[in-house]
Amino acid sequence: MKPRNLAIFLTAGLVMTTAACGGDKDSDAGGDVTITVACQPAKTAAKQREAWNADVAAFEKAHPGVKVKSTDQQPCFDPKTFAAKLAGGQMETVFMVPVTNYADVIAKGQAKDITASTGLVKNFGDIKQDVRDMLTKDGKVYGVPNVSYSVGLVYNRAVFEKAGLDPDAPPKTWDEVRAAAKKIAGLGDGYVGFGEYGGGGTGGWHFAQAIFSRGGEMVVDGKAAFNSPEGKAVLQTLHDMRFEDKSTGSKLNIGWESLMQQMAAGKTGMMLGAPDVVTDVVQKFQGKKDDYGIAAIPEGKASLTGGEAYMINPEASAAETKAGLQWIDFQFNTPGKGRHDYARGKANGEAVGVPNNDYMGDSPTGQKIAEDRKANAVLPVEYYQPYVEGSKSVEFKLEPEKAQEIYAVLDVAMSAVLTRENADIDKLLADAESKANAILAKS
Amino acid sequence: MPAKRPARPRRRPPTRKKRTVRTNLTAYGFLCAALFCFALFAWWPMIRQIIMSFQETNLVDEPKWVGLDNFRTVVEDPAFGQAWKNTFVFSGLALLCGYLIPFTVAIVLNELRHARAYLRFVVYLPVMLPPIVSVLLFKWFYDPGPGLFNAVLDGVGLPTLQWLDSTDTALISLVIVSTWMNMGAGVLIYLAALQNIPGELYEAAELDGAGIFKRIWNVTIPQTRLILLLMLMLQIVATMQVFIEPYMLTEGGPENATVTVAYLMYQYAFRFGGNYGAGSALGVMLMIVLLVVAAVQLRLTRDEKR
Amino acid sequence: MAETAHTVRTTERPDAVEQTRKVTPPPAHRRRKRRRAAWADGHTRTVVSPLELKSRWGTRIYWAVLAGVLTVFTLVFLFPLYWMATSAMKSSDEIAQVPPTLWPENPDFSVFTDAWELFDIGTLLKNTLFYAIGAWLFALAVDVTAAYALSKLRPLFGNVILGAMLATLMIPPIVVMIPAYITATDVPIFGWHLLNSPWAIWFPVAANGFNIFLLKRFFDSIPDEILEAAEIDGVPPWRVLVSIILPISRPILGVVSIFTIVMVFKDFLWPLLVLPDSEKMTISVGLSQTAGAVPQNQVMAGLVIASIPMIIVFFFFQRSIMAGLTAGSLKG
Repeated sequence: MKPRNLAIFLTAGLVMTTAACGGDKDSDAGGDVTITVACQPAKTAAKQREAWNADVAAFEKAHPGVKVKSTDQQPCFDPKTFAAKLAGGQMETVFMVPVTNYADVIAKGQAKDITASTGLVKNFGDIKQDVRDMLTKDGKVYGVPNVSYSVGLVYNRAVFEKAGLDPDAPPKTWDEVRAAAKKIAGLGDGYVGFGEYGGGGTGGWHFAQAIFSRGGEMVVDGKAAFNSPEGKAVLQTLHDMRFEDKSTGSKLNIGWESLMQQMAAGKTGMMLGAPDVVTDVVQKFQGKKDDYGIAAIPEGKASLTGGEAYMINPEASAAETKAGLQWIDFQFNTPGKGRHDYARGKANGEAVGVPNNDYMGDSPTGQKIAEDRKANAVLPVEYYQPYVEGSKSVEFKLEPEKAQEIYAVLDVAMSAVLTRENADIDKLLADAESKANAILAKS
Repeated sequence: MPAKRPARPRRRPPTRKKRTVRTNLTAYGFLCAALFCFALFAWWPMIRQIIMSFQETNLVDEPKWVGLDNFRTVVEDPAFGQAWKNTFVFSGLALLCGYLIPFTVAIVLNELRHARAYLRFVVYLPVMLPPIVSVLLFKWFYDPGPGLFNAVLDGVGLPTLQWLDSTDTALISLVIVSTWMNMGAGVLIYLAALQNIPGELYEAAELDGAGIFKRIWNVTIPQTRLILLLMLMLQIVATMQVFIEPYMLTEGGPENATVTVAYLMYQYAFRFGGNYGAGSALGVMLMIVLLVVAAVQLRLTRDEKR
Repeated sequence: MAETAHTVRTTERPDAVEQTRKVTPPPAHRRRKRRRAAWADGHTRTVVSPLELKSRWGTRIYWAVLAGVLTVFTLVFLFPLYWMATSAMKSSDEIAQVPPTLWPENPDFSVFTDAWELFDIGTLLKNTLFYAIGAWLFALAVDVTAAYALSKLRPLFGNVILGAMLATLMIPPIVVMIPAYITATDVPIFGWHLLNSPWAIWFPVAANGFNIFLLKRFFDSIPDEILEAAEIDGVPPWRVLVSIILPISRPILGVVSIFTIVMVFKDFLWPLLVLPDSEKMTISVGLSQTAGAVPQNQVMAGLVIASIPMIIVFFFFQRSIMAGLTAGSLKG
């Protein structure tokens, strides 16, 4: 580049960096307030969308002066645009964050401190304490938990029967899982015993689920702890199932939907998953509703929990914050209303009945929600009893720090044992460990 | 880069047209819209990339200067070496596929006297399709179960492949998609270049007793060398930006076998909630590589034209 | 390289050529005519001599090669599209069948309407069309005025500016995606937030050094005498541009137009970043977001529908597109 061009660049750059920008949002105390809320169901789910819109109308009627605008970005939380939406003034007043990103969002000051106004969510106190704690930092509350679940084993009862296995006695250990998977794969004709992920972040996520179930750890005291006998057992078992038993199928599943589709197609026996897997398999991917059962996680030493919460835009005015929390209260935390209106869900053909959300626990509100759900169940609730019973004694574990990045690191190991017969498991784990430590050291 | 025209017979000496303040003002009036667009979306991002590579920013707080930290992060990432290796292997394979094949195809097409319009149309058709279409279509072909490719291999009695699901074949599978959807442009460009070769040269070569291959070697290739050089650079620039293939088909896997530099950059900035600094550091490195490529290219063409 | 502009013109509308004829320097003009004639005959002298071709073996080999090329091209470039269309029409059981069937047992066309609704293709296409047409008008307005200024008004530092514009061709947009994206989220000085706004597409599209270069070079070949005559008559520069330059430049405007529209239709990463709202997405991004969650036959149906606009454009503007390609390749 010629020096003269460079000079122009630099002056242009100077002019631009010195220029200030930004606009302040005034808080309009009285009068009308408009809030935007995230997570409206997509157009492809027409009935749920209709129900959501009806809820919005009902909420507006109950709160005169509040206007609600919905956004339906898919997925609802998108790490790709999250920071920029905030910086660009495009963030909704009420937005959703998955548990993996809580710490990050709170640390970066991207969520509003709502400690003083949690009372607006009437049943806030009934939400499980440990679930609320995840959103509390230095005594300040930054969000309202919305979903909480723990992982179990989702299995296809029809496939079990076809393979001569007892669908009422699902596998309890990893050895039993392996034996059952082998039997199912023995059916041939595209049957897969055990479906597993190998990329797109989901591989590492399922690694965490499996290592926890065996009593291993992901991160201890800011250091990677998965290069352990348990971690090795996870990979070794998968590798042997893939190459000795040939019971995991030859397709490498990348991204959450791929295994869901496979599961819904009705030729896959088992996968690790929370109960919401059944909801989605039946509702989004047209799986047969009577086919799926859920068992407690194999071995059951511990189980990964996951979930999501709603947070408020840090730029929101007082009036907007108030309206936002009222919306959260109305839509997500009132039994029989909004998303807990199971009678309407049933009428709309939703897969009601799956114990997919335990965030209220055994509190009065929690029990009421559970009863409502059971009363309107569409799905065979008894098929999920092994999970409900088994999960009671299981210790719940949170996702590790920097979860997404560490999952991406472990994708490499997972994809290796699922694609390469001569994969060196010790080396894979050692590599992943050093890389994860480098990531953890940065926080 | 601007063409170095041998001579500009039509251009008058600049003294003839006096530049008055008014013409200058008018000219800049005409230019201002373009200057605005370029300044904001072409020039400023380049400068800002360099600035950001030395900063830590989360778009909310004031950016922090962190010296070479971002570069250290990037270089220490085990995927870093892999990404450059993949990108260069991709370049190499893409050159082989996207260079040799189209050129050969163009030479053959240039000999044909029939169905030329059809062949030209067909070869360029994939170039017109939105890349997402080609990529998702091939994702379906590569499916190890009911996918077309394994069905064909099985049908002719060959062992089936894992395509995208194996470290050995994933990268080449991406190259195949990329070649399929881009090669039409190369073929047509070479074809145009071939049609500009004066026929007398071939006649002369024939009189000298040169066979067909000798004629290609001694006439066709030297006559199209400039275009070949240019396409070489364009190809390299194109492969430096391979993104949609790994993004849609493999997400960089298995075992990072298909992580490209552009994909890694995307991953830093947009997948894990915004390490914009590290992404920019990688971007700066890409910029340097591209400038070197451009410099070499300029040098070569200059020598060529002498 | 000076003749590139003429390469563009050769395959263009004869009436446009007619208008420039009196001003085109004779040597290039004569060469052009000869090449046109050769094209009309269908062949020039190439590697293989006509004599070789007419020999007994020559003819046989020629027909064999022709048949081979036709088969291979059809298989490689058309068959995938056939497979796409027929896969769409298979039932979800049939599409998962191993080995696959060559022709769907019960071709089901309703899948296209299903996919149309599922992917919300109506909205996606409408958006994309809107972005493409807007980008076309905006880029043309910006680039033509700029090229005119640089070519005919020749302001102080004009060459520096042109150089800086061309320098951007070395750095493809993807390399600076992060800073460009951050700029779009919060435009310096102006404080605009362009996320989800069509301007996030239109501004960068107009900042296209290659378009400006093509246009400027074409304008350069228009002799100054015509313009000077107009200037003496007191015609203001913008009238000169509109009523003298633009009519002559129709071919190059066609090339630039098509390129801009096709580029917007094909772009993926940039719209993925700046248009995250599902109401505002382009067709490519919309397909990529939903493709994972719908059955395979629906995905294929979606792809078929998404391909149709570009195939239609190709049918109608084949000549412009191919001419533009040649112009592009010879940019030197």
